[in-house]
Amino acid sequence: MRLWLAEALFGFVLLVGCSILIAQWVGGSGWSWVPGWFADDPWLLPVGVGVLTTPFLVAEPFVRYAVHRWELSGDVVYTRSGFLTREWVFVPVSRIQTVDKAQGWVERLLGLATLEIRTASHAGSSTIKGLDYTVAAGLAEELAHRAEQLRDDAT
Amino acid sequence: MTVPAGPLPLAEPVRLPMRLSPKVLLIHPVRMIPSLIVPLVGLLFVGGFSGMSYTWAAVGVGVTLAFAVVRWAIFSYEIVGDRLEIKRSLISRSVRTIPLERIRGVDVSTPPMHRLLGLAVLKIDTGASGGEEEGKLDGVTLEEAERLKSVLLRRTRAARVTRPARAPMPGETSAAVSATDPAAATDPAAASASAAASMSAVREETAEDEREIIRVPWTWLLYGPLSGAYLLTPFALAGGAVGLAFQWGDDLGFGRDAALTVGEWLWEHPYLLLAVVLLLVVAMPFVGGVMYAVFNWNFRLISRDGYLVAERGLINRRSVSLEAGRVRGYEIIEGLAERWAGVARVWAIVTGLGDSQTRGQLLPDVPRTVAFQVTGEAIGTYQAELRPHPPIARNRRLFRAIAPWLALAVATTLTALLTAQPIWWIGTVVALLLAGSGISLGLDRYRSLGHGYDGVRLAVRSGSLRRSQAVVERRAVVGWHIRQTWFQRRAGVYTLTAGVGAGKGGYSAIDVSQQQAIGFPAEVTPEWLAPFLSKGQ
Repeated sequence: MRLWLAEALFGFVLLVGCSILIAQWVGGSGWSWVPGWFADDPWLLPVGVGVLTTPFLVAEPFVRYAVHRWELSGDVVYTRSGFLTREWVFVPVSRIQTVDKAQGWVERLLGLATLEIRTASHAGSSTIKGLDYTVAAGLAEELAHRAEQLRDDAT
Repeated sequence: MTVPAGPLPLAEPVRLPMRLSPKVLLIHPVRMIPSLIVPLVGLLFVGGFSGMSYTWAAVGVGVTLAFAVVRWAIFSYEIVGDRLEIKRSLISRSVRTIPLERIRGVDVSTPPMHRLLGLAVLKIDTGASGGEEEGKLDGVTLEEAERLKSVLLRRTRAARVTRPARAPMPGETSAAVSATDPAAATDPAAASASAAASMSAVREETAEDEREIIRVPWTWLLYGPLSGAYLLTPFALAGGAVGLAFQWGDDLGFGRDAALTVGEWLWEHPYLLLAVVLLLVVAMPFVGGVMYAVFNWNFRLISRDGYLVAERGLINRRSVSLEAGRVRGYEIIEGLAERWAGVARVWAIVTGLGDSQTRGQLLPDVPRTVAFQVTGEAIGTYQAELRPHPPIARNRRLFRAIAPWLALAVATTLTALLTAQPIWWIGTVVALLLAGSGISLGLDRYRSLGHGYDGVRLAVRSGSLRRSQAVVERRAVVGWHIRQTWFQRRAGVYTLTAGVGAGKGGYSAIDVSQQQAIGFPAEVTPEWLAPFLSKGQ
């Protein structure tokens, strides 16, 4: 069974929101410790940073959104994520110890949630970002329930 | 205390509130002396050795003693039913309850002063995160420590036996099982116990006696300096001495100026400073070796009662008990010098072991063959060849080992040409030499890379200056993590990490090919990967 759910809102809005914050922060950086030549033209920094990061800002949400996948099948949770560095994580439900769902404030605005699937090892733990809240809640419950049934004591 | 062979009745009322040995009263105040002495001396100086200042000093000492007495008096522990309670109660009360079945290991150590007085520090490892959660009994007599250890560990096991025993795993460690003594097996008590319990439990139950797996002969301590452990001790000691001199100088009123004057004087005699540094460098292997010998003196690895017990140390004799059922594998570490000498160190990979760097050590430096033999006997052998990683990994290793030095060489050459100062050429030569050595380093790193699976355990190996091979049971794997950085994507290789709920948490095979990155997890845990492979990832 393949579950493809609620990815439509992920990433883009979230990251653009972040980027505006970053841009504002960068724009407001008129501190006194900057050297002489720079103090004359303080707008160089925001412009420079803006020019450098714009391609990333434009590309990253789309790439992340395109790459980010998750799937629950055969009692194994598979997640894929990344931008420059790709990561694939396979976590069998039987080894799950806790399932946390968390919501940052941006995610709350957008009605999204992040699911953290934890095992005894950090390398075997995965997070699914930007799930629709109801989906995240349902998945968390399902995973917790299945994990209970399949519990295995080896770790 | 003699311990009955059968599972102990858990409801048995054992109400014996115990206190720490009163001898500990001698230790705590002595331990506080260093922090007390400076204020006391300062007080005497300032007060001008008058009767009043003596009184105050006496009061200070008295308060310290009283504090130690109170601390001793309010601290008690007892085993109540199936749990250990550690109480601290004066006005407020704090009771720490540790269920016996949660105890995963007991760590007994004897720091020098404890040793003189025949005392020991008992630490109870519960697998909880954070050192605060552990039980610690600082200052019980040696006999009491031994008694507690056997009671705690036996009860732990007894409590487990009464639960539905888990199915014997194919990779069940042999330490508890192979020690079966015919005499113990025919013991009537053990036999009656076996009626209720499953096979694996019986075997654990009958593995009563103690079996020494290895006693490391003292001649092998000579391998110590090769390990590189404690090599920085001379510098640490020197640094500590300088720091102390500053602090005490300050406190005793010599002031920083005097110390700074000494420093300046040293600075003006750079050869003296150089000589000191050289002396320290020369002292490195010797002091390091001595420290190593002191810490690893008379290293013994024992299999007892389903526990692996490692004992070591000359002054601070330390005994660490690891529950064999929780050992998931081992890690063999070899530094460059150690590989040249053919020796290796071994750590156990244990679930829920706090402070595993010091506690998990199974073997100090021993010859490789012995290391493999002992780990095979204590935990289980790994019998399969390690598979090499694709040739592109070699290029990546080489690039990483050489490129930084080449870049440095280019930079120094440019500087030399631009500034026309010949001294920069020295930098170029050094960088080029390092780049040259980087070739062999990179090649060796590539040779070290490998991973494999023998049906029960999987193994991954990496590193050159510190080569480490981890061998982990299949059932300990809790997930797979495949990672590819941007550079790796260009090269078409992956880093495959097996998540393990023990030890470091994950063991990585670096730069495997795509086929291996998918094939290896599919081989080790086919049922997890099958649904995804069928669809063609």
